[in-house]
Amino acid sequence: MNRKGISLMLILLMAASMIFAQGGQDSDTIKFGGVWPLGDITGEQASKAAQVAVDEINANGGLLGKQVELIVIDSEFNPEKGAAAIERLATIDKVDFFVGVVSSGVHLGQIPTLKTYKKITMITGAASHLAEEAIGADQEWYFHLHPWDYNQGASYVEGWNAIAEKYSEISIGRWFLAYEEGAFGSASFEATKALFSDMEIDGEPFLSAAAGGGDYSAVLQRAKAYDPDVFIWAGYDADALPLLEQSKAIDFDPALFVGAPPGWPADFGESKLAEDVTLYGLWAPSLNEISEVSAKFYNGFIAKTGTEPATYFAPLGYAAIQIIAQAVEEAGTMDQDAIIAELKKIQYESPTGEVISFGPSNIISNQGIRNQKILQWQNGVQQVIWPFEQATSEPKYPFTPWSQR
Amino acid sequence: MNKKNKSLALGFGILGIIIMILPFFAGPYARIIGRAVISYMILALSWDILIRSGQLSFGLAGLFGLGGYISVILTANFGIPGLLSIVLAGVIVGIVAAVIGAAVLRLRGMYFAITTMAFGEIFKIIMHNWKSVSGGPNGKILQGALFQGDSNLGYALMLILALLVILLSEYFKRSRYHFALTAIRDNEVTAKSGGINIYTTLVFTFVVTSMVQGIAGAANSQLIGFVSPESSFNANYTLIPLAMALLGGMYGTWGPVVGAVLLGVLGEFLKLYIPYGHLVVYGLIIILVLLFMPQGIVGLIKRYLFVDTGNDPLPEEKSATKKELSENE
Repeated sequence: MNRKGISLMLILLMAASMIFAQGGQDSDTIKFGGVWPLGDITGEQASKAAQVAVDEINANGGLLGKQVELIVIDSEFNPEKGAAAIERLATIDKVDFFVGVVSSGVHLGQIPTLKTYKKITMITGAASHLAEEAIGADQEWYFHLHPWDYNQGASYVEGWNAIAEKYSEISIGRWFLAYEEGAFGSASFEATKALFSDMEIDGEPFLSAAAGGGDYSAVLQRAKAYDPDVFIWAGYDADALPLLEQSKAIDFDPALFVGAPPGWPADFGESKLAEDVTLYGLWAPSLNEISEVSAKFYNGFIAKTGTEPATYFAPLGYAAIQIIAQAVEEAGTMDQDAIIAELKKIQYESPTGEVISFGPSNIISNQGIRNQKILQWQNGVQQVIWPFEQATSEPKYPFTPWSQR
Repeated sequence: MNKKNKSLALGFGILGIIIMILPFFAGPYARIIGRAVISYMILALSWDILIRSGQLSFGLAGLFGLGGYISVILTANFGIPGLLSIVLAGVIVGIVAAVIGAAVLRLRGMYFAITTMAFGEIFKIIMHNWKSVSGGPNGKILQGALFQGDSNLGYALMLILALLVILLSEYFKRSRYHFALTAIRDNEVTAKSGGINIYTTLVFTFVVTSMVQGIAGAANSQLIGFVSPESSFNANYTLIPLAMALLGGMYGTWGPVVGAVLLGVLGEFLKLYIPYGHLVVYGLIIILVLLFMPQGIVGLIKRYLFVDTGNDPLPEEKSATKKELSENE
């Protein structure tokens, strides 16, 4: 073989050895291993918010006198890659804690690996009850921050009933759900039918702009003819503005116009179309007015990234680190059992405006947040309208007619 | 093949064996990444076998996902062991491909490509709505992943599958199918006048490559222990293998293999060292390579490292020539 051939092979072998190289363990550092989809705003912001928390902890002297490090790996929204990331963090980076995850599919792929290592794990996403079934009971090291799908559904019912009761002018008896025809939208429709079974419900699918669609005229005409009290669309952020544009074009302005995408387009609130749109979420910048922790998180995030947190996964990423850090401080040791015991007792005042503690859900022992919030865009700002104890504004009702905008 | 080319081929063969075996000694992380790379490699190879006929298929994700679903349903609903379900999934996907292929292989070029693109969506919609069997939008989980998640056995399974597909690809390269597929790609009229049954050849090739894709999907789903509409029919299972085959070089076995290893390992490398910018760099590299290396990496290696021996006959050509000579004698 000539020199060129030998050089090429050496380069290939060096590249392989660099990737799979064993990372040295520094005992003076406490390591968090985070796995999020970095190509998506949810994962990108959650991971950066987690770094904000790590920086804050280090600025305050670290944990147990040690510096804290966050190692982030992209899950690429791929279950196999998500599982490989956990393997790497456990065996090569030798992290002390796992945090992260957006997407139930990725989490399902990770669960067998997580069960192998049984390190303390704080999950920021994954709402599917299948993930809860896959984890199973008696996994004391497993902590789930994000509400499960049935928690979310129950909180919507509770929230809307509470709103209708408190504000007698608000009617919620007749619902129409426009849902993207993929897994997310269809599951939302099935869940809504089951949850609000004592009400009148109809619905129709549409092809999301995220999947190459974007024409909502048929479904909007159907909804207009149905004349619902509450119109909900379950799609993706790409649907938000065109769906509102087309609603305006056909003059469809139901009394309550609710959007339930996992994320919203950047600067959505700046559009006049956004006004009065109601949504679900765990956090909004308006919570800064009633929560010092929220304001601290918000300012820290902007200082570090130069952008505003646009998704509630950001405060969840931040909270995941802070909760474990608080438990480590309380335990005064890195002993896993002692930290788990502290986590089970924790009362963490979170940026989401509520005090987070852990307790049993349907299967697991350590479920954190159980309620989604109901929010509403008002003058370009997401305001919390339910739960009332965290409310930052009263609901605006009914939806302002398009002609008056 | 001259002496220099022989020693180079031997060197690359040894390097290939080292790279394939390396994950067994490099920990579970390397094995899971290796498993993912091999999944894509199998898809890239199967795609390449069909493209040798000039038929551009975008149906990889659909057939991959279908194989995964069939395998998991067979195990979860009917208690069929994982390994057997992978084989059965391959057979069932083959039958489905024969039915579909009989219809869509009457189409050519862009029409065939667009039709195959719909496979993923069609199968996804079926699995999505056939809730009682497939689990609907939530998908379906197995009680336990194949081999109880043992990464050595999982990697070994995928490695064996990859070796079988490499052999299959070489068979298509060295047998009469090579001439048939190349002739169809070059000029169908000439191929037909040469006695090639174009339709049968294409359907056969489509069925075989679809079975490979179905088996890859079945093995992948058994190893991760679940299927869901969004993850099993993900468009990445179409786009990444295509990029790998283009990067490595089309119309041969080693292009897709080299492309899969390089792009798979490079992607992981970039992800670890440039976490927030790796996709941009990854895309840029693919564009630059495709612009400046139209023959792919294997084409470049052949051009600069191997000695051009002109028209070295293929083994079958050699035997054909010998036969002709003996007949003439």
